[in-house]
Amino acid sequence: MTLPAAKSIAICVSAVVVTLGVGAMLFVWSGAYNVAASEQHFAVTHWLLDFVKRRSVETQSLLISAPPLDDPDLVRLGGAHYHGGCAPCHGGPGDPRNPVVQQMYPEPADLPIAAPSWTPGQLFWIAKNGLKFTGMPAWVAQNRDDEVWAVVAFLRALPKMSDAEYRRLAIGEAEAPRSGMLELAALGSRAEILSRCHRCHETESSPSANRLVPKLVGQSQAYLEMSLRNYANGLRSSGIMQPIAAELDEANLVEAAKHYAQHRSVGKMASAPLMSEKIERGRRIATAGVPEKGIPPCLACHAGKSAATFPKLEGQHAAYIVGQLRLWRRGLRDRTVQGAIMAAIAPRLTDEQIEDLAAYFESVATMQVPTEAPPPPPPAPPRAPVRRR
Amino acid sequence: MTRRTTWANRMGTVVAALFLEACRGVQSALAPQGIDAERVAGLFWVMTIGAALILILVMFVTALALFGPESWRRWLSRDGIIVAGGIVFPVTTLTALLGYGFVLTSIGDSRPGGESIKIAVVGERWWWRVIYRDSAGRRIESANELRIPVGRPVEIELTSADVIHSFWAPKLAGKLDMIPGRKNVLTLMAKEAGVSRGQCAEYCGGAHALMAFYVVALPQPEFERWLAHEAEPASAPPTPQALAGMTLFAASGCGACHAIRGTPAAGAIGPDLTHVGGRLSLAAATLPNDEAAFARWIKDNQHIKPGNLMPPYGIFSDSELAAVSNYLASLR
Repeated sequence: MTLPAAKSIAICVSAVVVTLGVGAMLFVWSGAYNVAASEQHFAVTHWLLDFVKRRSVETQSLLISAPPLDDPDLVRLGGAHYHGGCAPCHGGPGDPRNPVVQQMYPEPADLPIAAPSWTPGQLFWIAKNGLKFTGMPAWVAQNRDDEVWAVVAFLRALPKMSDAEYRRLAIGEAEAPRSGMLELAALGSRAEILSRCHRCHETESSPSANRLVPKLVGQSQAYLEMSLRNYANGLRSSGIMQPIAAELDEANLVEAAKHYAQHRSVGKMASAPLMSEKIERGRRIATAGVPEKGIPPCLACHAGKSAATFPKLEGQHAAYIVGQLRLWRRGLRDRTVQGAIMAAIAPRLTDEQIEDLAAYFESVATMQVPTEAPPPPPPAPPRAPVRRR
Repeated sequence: MTRRTTWANRMGTVVAALFLEACRGVQSALAPQGIDAERVAGLFWVMTIGAALILILVMFVTALALFGPESWRRWLSRDGIIVAGGIVFPVTTLTALLGYGFVLTSIGDSRPGGESIKIAVVGERWWWRVIYRDSAGRRIESANELRIPVGRPVEIELTSADVIHSFWAPKLAGKLDMIPGRKNVLTLMAKEAGVSRGQCAEYCGGAHALMAFYVVALPQPEFERWLAHEAEPASAPPTPQALAGMTLFAASGCGACHAIRGTPAAGAIGPDLTHVGGRLSLAAATLPNDEAAFARWIKDNQHIKPGNLMPPYGIFSDSELAAVSNYLASLR
């Protein structure tokens, strides 16, 4: 091929490219393309978009390995969040999607049907990162993978779920009875707010609730208010609690805190004093610390007489304590002034010490039982006679 | 030219001032106040002056060998001179110095001043735990400051809670390492009353440079009065503000790490605060001892001494912080 021939081919190709480019720009600029959600894509566009999405999710989630997801409390936690955060768009058994949502385009997946087409790792990736141009948001607290896995645990169980089972998991066993209109009106928004709390936290009728979430009864109002504010302004990160706390106005926030602070007699669960070596090890750390490792006794702050903004830990769920201490060790709870104190101490604890402490605190029955008098002290054991030489 | 001279003059003045200041200062080995430090200083001057004299002699002989009259140069090149100057002189001088050094370092065991007192000092991250025992055998814990009687030998038992530190109070004695799992004993004796400063002399982590202490040498009767007071429990808060501070101290978990004898606070992790207000400094000779410094330390200690084991306490309001600081400063 001679040089002038090559040159003219190059010129022709460039002219075509430029013309196509300018044409495309003109088409976009003209507004002739219809972005209406009321009009379906061409089949080929639909296929292409779907293909891009599926391949992207598959590739991006390639290296994610799922933790154990069979813990019933994990499923319940995921379910309770699903009911508030996901079901409005994705629906649930016996909880059909709102007609408005059905007019979204692309339409949110009907998850009871669609979830099994993804692996747990892929579901995790989607729930954590969201999907561009679909209305699917990313997880609020990007550093709380543990919470995202709870949602995945629930999604795995979702397809086989009956309506009743869904209600039990998502709304809780102790749903407020459907009371008369008058009563409901008197309670006003408070009942609605508390029903959100009760999806996970304990109530009078179900004192054990979910072991992964804290028992709130017996905490001070100051501590509960502070925690809700820290969630609301993002100082404490949680994809589950942040959205709920951010929605509360000041009056409702105070009301919710007061509700739990005032109920003191429920939550007494460990009636028989469980003793084990593990609990005894935990008790020693809680009462005396490990001075040579710089670990102060937990009860110096987390007991009855301390400042109101320190949480009480007696009777608290072990799984929750373990989860929070792990967050501290990962540096995820140091943005509040209270959290900064614990952030200095938590990294000094070993995994075993964390487990021991959690077991100890769970074994201690909550002490606030205002109506009962404290039991009389056990009679002192008879002294062994002092042996003399 | 003039400008350069002025600059040189100025630099000369600055350098001279630095040297003079260092000699006079509270942390100078060249201004000894204890018999051990005097020996160290004596050794230093003997070595320095001796080395200077030898250097001058060698330079003189070198100059003579290069530029001197023929007869002198011939004399210098004799075998006898080479053997005397190259072998006999260094061997005798170095042997004598070695003997002097041995004698100096072994003197420590027999010293005047009667029975010695024992003080245990533990190197921590980054402060000094100081434990006295009074004549009744009571254990009296303090921190970051040593008080010693003048004219009595003091045996300081040095241990470490974590890594290797080194205890060095230059005006009183030489340095000695504090080694984990081992007890080293440094004996020193102050010849006159006065305050001097010491320093950790072995790199022990990020805030090593902020691990210092004061040594206060007191006349014997005054020392005994002080020790008796130090053994007492903390004084009651003198003002309502201090009382509020005491309540906050108890409610905020401070007692988990700090002890204030006479109160429920019995923590063993951090410094004993029973008489903290009576010390010369805070945070191991890092801050002055006043209410403002207490407030800064409580709230912002991780900026003052990064990586220290105390969590930053940002939970107090301004007035609460002032109350806690007031209470701690009142513990004299």
